[in-house]
Amino acid sequence: MDQAHPPALARVPRRWRLGDASAAALLLAPAMLLFTVATLYPLVETVRISFWDIQGLRKPSFAGFGNYILLFSDAGFRNTLTTTLLFTAGVTILSVSIGWVVAMLCALAPRQTLVFRMMFFAAFGISESVSGYLWTGIFRSDSGGLLNSLIQHLGFPGFAFAWLGDEKTALWVLIIASAWSAVGLPLMLIFAAIQSIPKSVLEAAYMDGAKSFSTMRFIMVPLSLPGVRVSVFINLLTALRAFDIIYVMTNGGPARATETVGYFIYRESMTQFKLGYGAAATIVLLVAFLIVSAPAIMQRTAGAK
Amino acid sequence: MSAGLENFQGIRRRTFLAGTGGLALAAMTNGGARAADEVGGELAVLNWAGGTELEMLHNLQKAFVAKYPKVKIREVNVTGQGDMRPGMRTALMGGEKVDLFVNTWPAFRKELADAGILRPIDDQWKTFNWDKRLDASWRKLGSLADVTYGLTYTFGDRSGIWYKKDHMAKAGIAEMPKTWDEFTAALPKLQKAGFAAPIAIPGKYWAHAEWFETLLLRTAGVEASSKLAAHQIPWTDAIVKTALKKYASLISGGFCGAPADMLSTEWDAACDQVFQANAKNFVLIGMWLNARAKDDYKLVEGKDYSLFQFPALGMGHDDTSSVDSKEFVVTANGANPKAADAFLDFCTTADAANIIAKAGLASPSKEVDASLYGDAQKIATAAVAKSKVQFVLGDLLPGDLVDEYRVQLQKFLQDPSDANIDKVLAAIEAKAKASY
Repeated sequence: MDQAHPPALARVPRRWRLGDASAAALLLAPAMLLFTVATLYPLVETVRISFWDIQGLRKPSFAGFGNYILLFSDAGFRNTLTTTLLFTAGVTILSVSIGWVVAMLCALAPRQTLVFRMMFFAAFGISESVSGYLWTGIFRSDSGGLLNSLIQHLGFPGFAFAWLGDEKTALWVLIIASAWSAVGLPLMLIFAAIQSIPKSVLEAAYMDGAKSFSTMRFIMVPLSLPGVRVSVFINLLTALRAFDIIYVMTNGGPARATETVGYFIYRESMTQFKLGYGAAATIVLLVAFLIVSAPAIMQRTAGAK
Repeated sequence: MSAGLENFQGIRRRTFLAGTGGLALAAMTNGGARAADEVGGELAVLNWAGGTELEMLHNLQKAFVAKYPKVKIREVNVTGQGDMRPGMRTALMGGEKVDLFVNTWPAFRKELADAGILRPIDDQWKTFNWDKRLDASWRKLGSLADVTYGLTYTFGDRSGIWYKKDHMAKAGIAEMPKTWDEFTAALPKLQKAGFAAPIAIPGKYWAHAEWFETLLLRTAGVEASSKLAAHQIPWTDAIVKTALKKYASLISGGFCGAPADMLSTEWDAACDQVFQANAKNFVLIGMWLNARAKDDYKLVEGKDYSLFQFPALGMGHDDTSSVDSKEFVVTANGANPKAADAFLDFCTTADAANIIAKAGLASPSKEVDASLYGDAQKIATAAVAKSKVQFVLGDLLPGDLVDEYRVQLQKFLQDPSDANIDKVLAAIEAKAKASY
């Protein structure tokens, strides 16, 4: 018996033993298989389809870069890019700003604000479509709409308005509705970042006579920035691919004023059944995703070996 | 003999089998019972309908199975919101094999036929002698380039304006308007009676096009509308502008409400505004509302509500109406063409027509018991019978164009000025140029 190996291993015949590389491959295989089937294959297929002209039940024909050329010459698509930019920026700025402010305030009295924070975070757990129905109920144009009903009860019937039916207000309503459910995550992440500030730092500030506002401005704000960065990154990506809430609340209307790239992809692929064209738009969205994600990914992996 | 056989060469095997099956049925001396014995097996139906309409389709299926007890119906359901064609395409492209389904879009029929999914039914028409029960116009409606694919089982008047009788009484309107002038004179009366915007126009997901389409028919006629659908005349043509300007007069007059209100109102909600909220008075939306009024609003047809045909404009085309229809189409790859054909035949019979009539819908079958129709349906059916009809324009347009058409109509509702009408029509025309 080879004394260098423990007895149990020594009993395994040599031909059944796996090298490190083989063992790693075997262990990774299920995950790789899943990744290939669920991510890689659809991605490759989407890229492939984007080079084909597929319309309805017609026989597909190869289009080369035709779909991409058409896409960037399509005024409707260019409009969705602007809308996506406004929507993404609006939702991210609003949700992270509110989350940041609330996290700061909660940090002043963590125990007393536990229930309050949980309530904020609960909205994050609500699905976007449910949230969409909820906000549609608030902004409905008729007297059944909560906001209009409130306005009328307060004695200002002239201010009741079809918020979702006007190009100028519909996008803002969507931004507010999306930001509402997106506040929970920044709140928790920033709150956690603040909680991780060493007590000694806060105590030193107190000893130096710093008031609450100064402590907040010069210690809590700068030291909560890692949480803010992660929040911005996550909320930016979530807003960029928004679809459900738009589908439920406005269907991209009125007159395509709230149509983001995500909704455009759905409309072209599913309503018009122009699968190739929709796939090309999906690839454009994917590239936008990568551009937004790149700095964060590079920063995270900068120190990795 | 050989010439006869040559004629059959182009016909698919299943069609041939179905045709000979039908001939066999017709040849039987003791008819019904033995014919019913021969039709059996599973009949796969692709269904996308819902609500009252689905209930009616289920009643049709039940009655069919009662007549053909050896048939078992398997329903393949497609769910979705708004336009159901994407769901149907997905099911069919995904390999779902069905024997028949309902279609309501002529443009989709063409797409299906071009893709080889539909089985022509000209032989069945002859074998089952459907001419006896259906007018030739219905066959024409279900045809493409002289090949028949669809068997119409119901149709609707899309130029009938629904109203509630107590609203008219409140405004002191004893007779429903017959001319455009009478109609526009009734609107301020309704406003005085407390209805701020008498006409309900839904435009949330898709702008409602019925007013424009009937105005186009009444100002330019069936032929012009048909040419526009085929893009044989441009959307920037003066006839289209005239119709939109007429429509604009209703919007600018404040009779339809604020643009934002229209653009945030769904189609169902527009009906609710008239029949439930009692906030508006007129809605032009199609005959499906009849079943909704009875089942959902619990109103009595003829007593609580009714319908009047679009007022005459006096521009030489007042004998025209917009119609929609629903047809059964059979598939080329269905496993049970014999049962599918038998089902089509059943839909032309008195039994089926009366089920349709009882559901508040109109049947094209000559065997329908017209006494089953309610007052509103009688008015609509009579109006269609004496009209030159044109299918709903939106359903005749290719997919890309219909989307642009509806969106541009939303833009028109936002700003019905002359300058914007030009912009709207130019945008539709630009899309049309690329769509045909």
